[in-house]
Amino acid sequence: MARWNVDLQNGSPVLRYGLSLVCVGLALGLALAAQYYGFRDVGLPLFTLAIAIVTWYAGMGPSVLTVLLSMLSFDYFFVQPLYSLAIDLQDLPYFLIFVVWAVVVASFAAVRRRIEEHLRNAREELTHRAEELEATNKELESFTYSVSHDLRAPLRHVAGFSELLQKHASSSLDDKSRRYIRLILESAKKMGNLIDDLLGFSRIGRAETRTAAVNLGQLAREVVADFGQDASGRDIVWRIGALPVCRGDRSMLRLVLVNLVSNAVKFTRIRTRAEIEIGSAREDSREVEIFVRDNGAGFDMQHANKLFGVFQRLHLAEEFEGTGIGLATVQRIVHRHGGKVRAEGMVDNGAIFYFSLPKV
Amino acid sequence: MEKFGRILMVEDDPKDVELALTALEEYHLANEVVVARDGQQALDYLYGRGEFTGRSPENPAVMLLDLKLPKVDGLEVLQKVKSDENLKTIPVVVLTSSNEEKDMMRSYKLGVNAYVVKPVDFHEFVNAVKELGVFWAVINQPPPGSMKK
Repeated sequence: MARWNVDLQNGSPVLRYGLSLVCVGLALGLALAAQYYGFRDVGLPLFTLAIAIVTWYAGMGPSVLTVLLSMLSFDYFFVQPLYSLAIDLQDLPYFLIFVVWAVVVASFAAVRRRIEEHLRNAREELTHRAEELEATNKELESFTYSVSHDLRAPLRHVAGFSELLQKHASSSLDDKSRRYIRLILESAKKMGNLIDDLLGFSRIGRAETRTAAVNLGQLAREVVADFGQDASGRDIVWRIGALPVCRGDRSMLRLVLVNLVSNAVKFTRIRTRAEIEIGSAREDSREVEIFVRDNGAGFDMQHANKLFGVFQRLHLAEEFEGTGIGLATVQRIVHRHGGKVRAEGMVDNGAIFYFSLPKV
Repeated sequence: MEKFGRILMVEDDPKDVELALTALEEYHLANEVVVARDGQQALDYLYGRGEFTGRSPENPAVMLLDLKLPKVDGLEVLQKVKSDENLKTIPVVVLTSSNEEKDMMRSYKLGVNAYVVKPVDFHEFVNAVKELGVFWAVINQPPPGSMKK
C-alpha cells in the first residue's frame, strides 16, 4: 500500500503538471478507443477519474489545469457539434460535474493531508519524548552508579581506620569505647551492604536482557538445591509444582526466584517446620503466573503497597535482617519482562508472592 | 624472600594510600613502596625527571595504578607506559573503584597485566593489596632490569 501513498504535493512542478497532462491524455486516448470499438458514454467517467487522480496526488494547480483540459477535450471530441469548441447551454452540466467533482476530491485530499500531518506530528512528538526519556533514564542510572561508587571510598576509610583503631587501642579503651567502635564498624558494614544493593539494583536497570525460552521448573529446582545446602540445619518442606516454560532472561529470572525463595527461607525461620511451595497459579494463552508461598511471618495486607519499594521493610532489623532491596529487584526484573508482581499475606500466617511472565 | 621488588603506587586518595601501606607493612613491603599522587608524578618517576631526577635507573617491579587521577588519568599513564620501549615490560596492575566494563576493556586493550576492583570491605581491601604486593613484589619474577633490594 505504501507505494500508493506517494505525495506529489511537494514534488517538482514539472512532475505535478506532467501528471495532469498524462492523465488527461490517457483518459482522452482510452475514451476515443472505447468509442471506436462502439462503447458509448465512457468519456465522462474517464475524465472524472483523471481529475480525481490528479487532484488527489498533485494538488491545486494541476487540478485546475486538468479540469480545463478535460473540459476542452470533452467539448471538442464528445459534445455535439463534434470537433468544435462551441459551447451550448445544454453542455454546462458536464462542466459543472467536472468542477464539482474536482472540489469534492480536493476537499477529501485536504482532509487526508491534515490527518497525515497530524499523525506525523504525533509521531515526531512521540520519538522526541522517547529520546528525552531515554536520556533522563541514562542520566539517572549513571548518577546512581557514580553515587554508589564515590560513596564506597569514604566508607572503606571509616571502616578501615575504625578497625585499625580497634586493633591499636583496644587494650587501653574501656568497655563503652570499645562498644562505640563496634557500633561504628557495624554501621559502616550496613552502609556497605546498602550501597552494594543499590549498585546491583541499578545494574539490573542497565543490563541488556537476553531473551530465550526458560524452563522455570528446572530453574526453581536449581535455586532450591542451592538454598537446601545453606539451610541444612533447618526443617524445610519444599514443594515444587509443575512449572511452565516462559520467555525471559535466564539469569535475571533466576535472581527473581533467588530473592523470593531466600525471603521465604528467612521469614519461616520462626517455624519449627517450614513449608515453602513454588507453583503455577494461572496460565493462559499469553502469560503465566508463578507463586512462591511460605508459612512464615507473613505481613499485614494494609502495607502490601510498600512491599516492592526500594529499601522498604515491614519488619524490624532485629527480627529479620536485610536491606529491603530484594522485592524491589524482583519487581524491576518482572516489569522489564512485561509482567506484574503482587503479594498476599496475613500477619503470622505466611505470605504468597506472585509474578507473571509472558509465555513462549 | 631476601629480594623484594619496588612497588610504584599511583593513588590520589591519601587515606587509601595509608590503608594500603598498613596492609603492606605486615609483610614488610611498605618500605619498598613509592607513592605517586597523580598521573603526572607517576610519569615523572618512571622517566626519572622532575623531583625524581637522578633516581636509580631500574624500573619498579610492579605499578599499582588507580584510574581516576588528577592531571593525567590512569588510562593515559597506562597508554604511555605500554607504548614506551623501556617501560612496557613493567607489570601494571589497575587498582580502581570502577568495575565499569568499558574501563576494564580499555585497560586490557592497552595491555594491563591485571585489573583489580577495590573491594568496599576493609578486610577484603587489605587482603587484596597484600596479595598483590606479595605476588608482584615477591613471588613474580619481574623482567630483567627491575629494581631489587
